[in-house]
Amino acid sequence: MSPIKDKDEALRQVLRRAYQEREKVEVTDQWQEEVMRRIREFGKIEASPSFLAMFEQLVWRLVPVTCLLILGLTVLLSSFDFISGYDVIELLMNSTEEITLNQFFGL
Amino acid sequence: MDTDSHSSADAEVVDQIVSGDVNAFEVLLHRYEAHVVRIVKKHIPFDKVEEVAQDVFIRVYQSLPNFKRDDSFKQWLSTITIRTCYDFWRKHYRYREIPVSSLSEKHQIWLEEATAAKSSQSFDERYSQKEAREVLDWALDRLSPEDRMVLELVYLEGYSVKEAASLLGWSTVNVKVRSFRARKKLHKLIKEIF
Repeated sequence: MSPIKDKDEALRQVLRRAYQEREKVEVTDQWQEEVMRRIREFGKIEASPSFLAMFEQLVWRLVPVTCLLILGLTVLLSSFDFISGYDVIELLMNSTEEITLNQFFGL
Repeated sequence: MDTDSHSSADAEVVDQIVSGDVNAFEVLLHRYEAHVVRIVKKHIPFDKVEEVAQDVFIRVYQSLPNFKRDDSFKQWLSTITIRTCYDFWRKHYRYREIPVSSLSEKHQIWLEEATAAKSSQSFDERYSQKEAREVLDWALDRLSPEDRMVLELVYLEGYSVKEAASLLGWSTVNVKVRSFRARKKLHKLIKEIF
C-alpha cells in the first residue's frame, strides 16, 4: 500500500473508533414513558383503505352530483326548439331561389 | 427466538395495534428501544438522542398500517430510524448558525500524529478518543446532511453501498457517487487543518 493510502487508512481507523465511541452514552428511562404518552395522545390508528375501496368511496360520493347534472341537462335540452335534419333538408329543397354564377360573383 | 418466529411475533403485535390496541405498542417499544437508540446515538448529537428516538417511535406508530407482514420489522424500523436522523440534519442545517470556532492547536497536533503513525493501534495507545471525536464532529458539521449520512453509513459504519441505499431510500448510484465525493471532502477538510 502507498504511504498516502496507508495514512488515509490509519486516519479512517482512528475516526471509525471515535465514531463507535458514541454508543457508550446512556439515555434516561423516562423517554419511554414519554413515547407512550405521546402515542396514547395520538390515539388509534386506522389501516389505510385499499385502492379499490377508495375508488368505490369516490364513486358513491359523486353519485348525487352526477344525478343532479343529468337532471339539469335534461331540463335544459328539453327547453330547446329542435329542428330535425329532415326538416332542414326539406327547407333547402323547397327553396325557389336560384343562385347563378353571376349572382355569386355580384356581376 | 429465531428471526422467523420473531418476525411473525412482531407482525402479530402490529396487527393488534392496527386493530385498535394502542397499549400493545409498548411491546415493540421495549423490544426495539435499544436497537433504535443505538442507531440514533451514532448519527445525532448526544443532547438530541432522546428527542429523535421518540420521533422515530412516533413515526413508526403512524406508519404501522403501511408495514407489510412479509418484511422484517427490524429492517423496516432501521430504515425509519435512519431516515428520521437524516430529516433531523436537514431541519438542523436549515436553521443552524455557521460554526465559527476552529480546532485548537492540540487537534492539529493530534491529526499530524494520527496520519504520521505507522499503524492506528500504536497511535491509539498514546492518544485519547476525545480529540478524534472532536475532529470528526468538526468535519461532519461542515458537510451537507446528505454527505454526512452517506459518509457515516458507508465510511464510518462500514455498510455496503446497497445497504446504505436501502436504508436511505436512494439509488445505489447516488449513494456511490455521494460516498466518493463526501470522502474527498472529508479528506480535504482535514488537510486544511494543517
